[in-house]
Amino acid sequence: MATRIDFAGLSLMDALDLAVLIEEEAKERYEEFAAQMDQHRTPDAARFFRLMAVNEAKHGQELAARRGQLFGDVAPMVTRAMIFDVEAPDYDAARAFMSPRQAMKAALASEVKAHAFFVAALPALKDAKVRALFEELRDEEVEHQTLVKAELAKLPPDSGLSDEDFVDEPTAQ
Amino acid sequence: MSATCEFQAKDYKSDLKPIWCPGCGDFSVVQGIYRALAAIGRPPHEIAFVSGIGCSSRIPGYTTAYGFNSVHGRSLPIAQGIKLANPDLLVLAAGGDGDGFSIGGGHIAHLIRRNIDITYIVMDNQIYGLTKGQLSPTSQKGRVTCTSRYGSFENPVNPLLYVLAYGAGFVAQASPTDLAGMAATIEEAIRYPGFAFVNIQSPCVTYGEEAQQIKGLKAISASLRELGHNPEDRLAAMDLAQHYGEKLHLGVFYKNPEPPPTYDALIRERQAQLSQGALPKERILDLFIKK
Amino acid sequence: MRKDLVFGMAGSGGDGIVSAGDSLLQAAAAEGYHGVMTKSFGSQIRGGESSCRVRISTDPILNPGGNLDVAVALNWEDFLKFGAELPVAGSTVVIYEAATGIKETEIPLVGVTPLQVIAVPIAAMAKETAGTERAKNTVVLGLIAGWFGIGAVAVMKGIRKKLAKKGEELVEANQRAFDAGRAFAMEHPLKASMNVIASETKGQVKLITDGNDMCAAAAIFAGCQFFGGYPITPSTEIMQFFTDHVWKYGGAVLQAEDEIAGIGAAVGASFAGKKAMTATSGPGLSLKSEMMGLATIAELPLVIVDVQRGGPSTGLPTKTEQSDLFAAVFSAHGDVIRPVLAPTSVADTFRITIEAFNIAEYYQTPVIILSDQEIASRKETLDPIDTSQFKILERLRPAGADLQDYKRFKQTENHISPISHPGMLGGTYLASGIEHVESGAPTNSGSVHQRMNDKRTKKFDPLKDRKDLFEVTGNPDAPIAMVAWGSVAGVCREALAMAQAEGLNVKLLVPYLLYPVAEGVYNDYFASVQKGLVIEQTHLAQTFKLLRMHIDLPKGVTSLARSGANPFLPGEIVAALHRLLSELQRSHEGNLQPQE
Repeated sequence: MATRIDFAGLSLMDALDLAVLIEEEAKERYEEFAAQMDQHRTPDAARFFRLMAVNEAKHGQELAARRGQLFGDVAPMVTRAMIFDVEAPDYDAARAFMSPRQAMKAALASEVKAHAFFVAALPALKDAKVRALFEELRDEEVEHQTLVKAELAKLPPDSGLSDEDFVDEPTAQ
Repeated sequence: MSATCEFQAKDYKSDLKPIWCPGCGDFSVVQGIYRALAAIGRPPHEIAFVSGIGCSSRIPGYTTAYGFNSVHGRSLPIAQGIKLANPDLLVLAAGGDGDGFSIGGGHIAHLIRRNIDITYIVMDNQIYGLTKGQLSPTSQKGRVTCTSRYGSFENPVNPLLYVLAYGAGFVAQASPTDLAGMAATIEEAIRYPGFAFVNIQSPCVTYGEEAQQIKGLKAISASLRELGHNPEDRLAAMDLAQHYGEKLHLGVFYKNPEPPPTYDALIRERQAQLSQGALPKERILDLFIKK
Repeated sequence: MRKDLVFGMAGSGGDGIVSAGDSLLQAAAAEGYHGVMTKSFGSQIRGGESSCRVRISTDPILNPGGNLDVAVALNWEDFLKFGAELPVAGSTVVIYEAATGIKETEIPLVGVTPLQVIAVPIAAMAKETAGTERAKNTVVLGLIAGWFGIGAVAVMKGIRKKLAKKGEELVEANQRAFDAGRAFAMEHPLKASMNVIASETKGQVKLITDGNDMCAAAAIFAGCQFFGGYPITPSTEIMQFFTDHVWKYGGAVLQAEDEIAGIGAAVGASFAGKKAMTATSGPGLSLKSEMMGLATIAELPLVIVDVQRGGPSTGLPTKTEQSDLFAAVFSAHGDVIRPVLAPTSVADTFRITIEAFNIAEYYQTPVIILSDQEIASRKETLDPIDTSQFKILERLRPAGADLQDYKRFKQTENHISPISHPGMLGGTYLASGIEHVESGAPTNSGSVHQRMNDKRTKKFDPLKDRKDLFEVTGNPDAPIAMVAWGSVAGVCREALAMAQAEGLNVKLLVPYLLYPVAEGVYNDYFASVQKGLVIEQTHLAQTFKLLRMHIDLPKGVTSLARSGANPFLPGEIVAALHRLLSELQRSHEGNLQPQE
């Protein structure tokens, strides 16, 4: 996770825009992961990442709608260049032959990461409305974690065996 | 050129599906390139993107630019031919550490001394991935691979120090630990009028060591800007570059504040000068008349 | 009076024998003669043995000639190093430096009695007249003017022009040396006059150049706008010519860091839409082979000149050979057809170079011009060439509908697809060394590979019908035949004329297109043939073997092949043809006897 944000000077509009960007970034990353899983014949993981992408998109749209109501089409002041990997899983979180469990764990890790982002930002915030928004977002991350954990719990118990012991070696090109 | 332009990152993304392993650092590099190109705003058809052979050398095909996935180690010779033949083009070259510093290691010094306006991106993962995990020129000494079962005897090449010593006008490093920073660095490299080199620590998820994955990279990364490094100070840059392999310095090591004229610009000058009053092509054999 | 004279001169580099040859050739051209000059050197950078051979004739010259008519030895040690290149015969006048102290009856030429041997105090005359022994070469030119009637005025006119900037004193010293040589000749007439008859074309414009410069000039004429190369003997002058001139035509030249980068840059320039070229010699060709394969699979036009020298490896860097044929035809792995063309003279280097570009552009392929050291570095006088008769082809570029959903490697009826280049809107594609589908996207499909190999090889079929890339001379129905290419072709042309004059029923096929092998042309040619020779300067008979791969040669067709550096002489080829004739007669007698 990396940011180039001056939290102290963040307005509510900036904060909403930032939240939208964070959701967008996560959505794109999940889509990318889903495509990687498709490409590598791992459909269950692909399905899960696609589901995550839809959730992030939905959340992003909700935030965007709120922003629209409050501030119309005033040009945003924050850009994608200011954030990186806030709620999106790290690039190397994807792996060949991911099981649904591994995919969910990767998603869970990124929700934890996002939660930590909002928690870490709170002390620096000056604007009360912004603080309220960040607290709301922080709590949503906890909800997301709960949801993912619930999904994880539905899975049959882990065999404890390593995939690497079963799959073919990589192919030399 | 302003950062707002008519092209978006997605306009540079092709329909080809990457062959890379899930989790490969190169996925982030191609995103960084899309973003940098969008920021620059040249239409894809005015860009030539050349690579050699290796996992990372597949990258031109994942863009909508004119791509050339050539032969092992030879992206730079081909890229320079393109640039000299048509200096109007934006020319990018890319490849892996083996491509750039082993089999093709002889070329970079010469592109640097010629100062041809090309941006060269090396996706450095310290391993040969495409051939299944052999020792690479940037592998750490002692590294165990399938061609160094008992540990390698060789010291690694230091790409940053190399290119700084050769006299490159723009030298930077990036990594997937900071995509926005990577995109900005690539953009700055492309905008630099002359040969620009960006080393990208791009982890290999399949054959890379744990310490070379993103978590490990984050632990040793430091922003050059935050360190207060002055990118106009070449000696300071060389000092920092010595820590390649132990530290991951991100950002611009060196940027020549007074870029000298590029080779391609000098060619144009010479063409303009000498074409004045030249014998028409149809009469070139008149050069051989002996009176 | 004679129509033709062959001079051979040898000395150490300090004797200025090559610049004397240059002066003689230029003077001959100014006097309206045709001339050919070849040079040959030892391996020292400076001061080692050097020689030149100048042939002057009132008729067009087919090759540098066989035995010398006039041999000039400034010292015997150096002269003898060129044994086979400067053959002395019973018809030769030998002129040598008296200061060697060797008697005219004791010159060190084994097994031959020259027509006349004359010791001349060349060094002493130079010292006396010009104040320096260095003027020996000018004395030699004076001797030649006096004895053979060439250059009496033109030589000094040329020297005067060349040295004008260096002052009158130097010119006068040369004039005195020249006059002394000429006076010596007048005072010591030859036993039999060897004067050459005056040329009827005196005063007409003549060009003088060598194969390398001609190749480079032809390339620029053909529209070549990029040259990438690396210095290597004997091809470097091609790059030097580009360095002097290509800028004037909007082009560029790169002396690259190595042979691979030289061709790589040319591949890049071609990808960028420009006509491009590289030039090299054997060792460089070996290094370039991977890039040639890349240009083949990426279907990029490119011209590669290989000026052959003796191989393998460093071999004989300053001597000619034809042994790169296999490398030109077969190097680069995979199933590759790469056209190979060979000029036979400086004059036809112009046409062949243009052909190479036309074929490269039309078929979107690398093309090799297989020149050789002799053609590349020999100088010829030429009549002016009408450049307007040469058609220049350009690659097929996509337009209109092609650019809707553009497919770079689209299958077409003639297997040639429109080719775009960076900068062209709608034409973006991925060029690659990896196998690709029509769009350019990589594939590892066996069936696509089969189809694409078909495309990349079948597209050359029409090339095999290019009869204009073959020259048949002599009686088309002759039972005795020769095949020769490159610089050896010139020797065979002369041998053909000599053999015909001696009543032999012979013909000669000179292929300018060596590969792909045009089976039809050879089958037609060999239809009448019972005996024949494939004549080449290779140790392994590469041409003969290449032909046998593709053609069922008549049994009586054999190989006359030997390593480079030792040129074929027209006379020895005529002798070989006589042997074929007598074999043929014997077998006829054998066949005919039972019937009689």
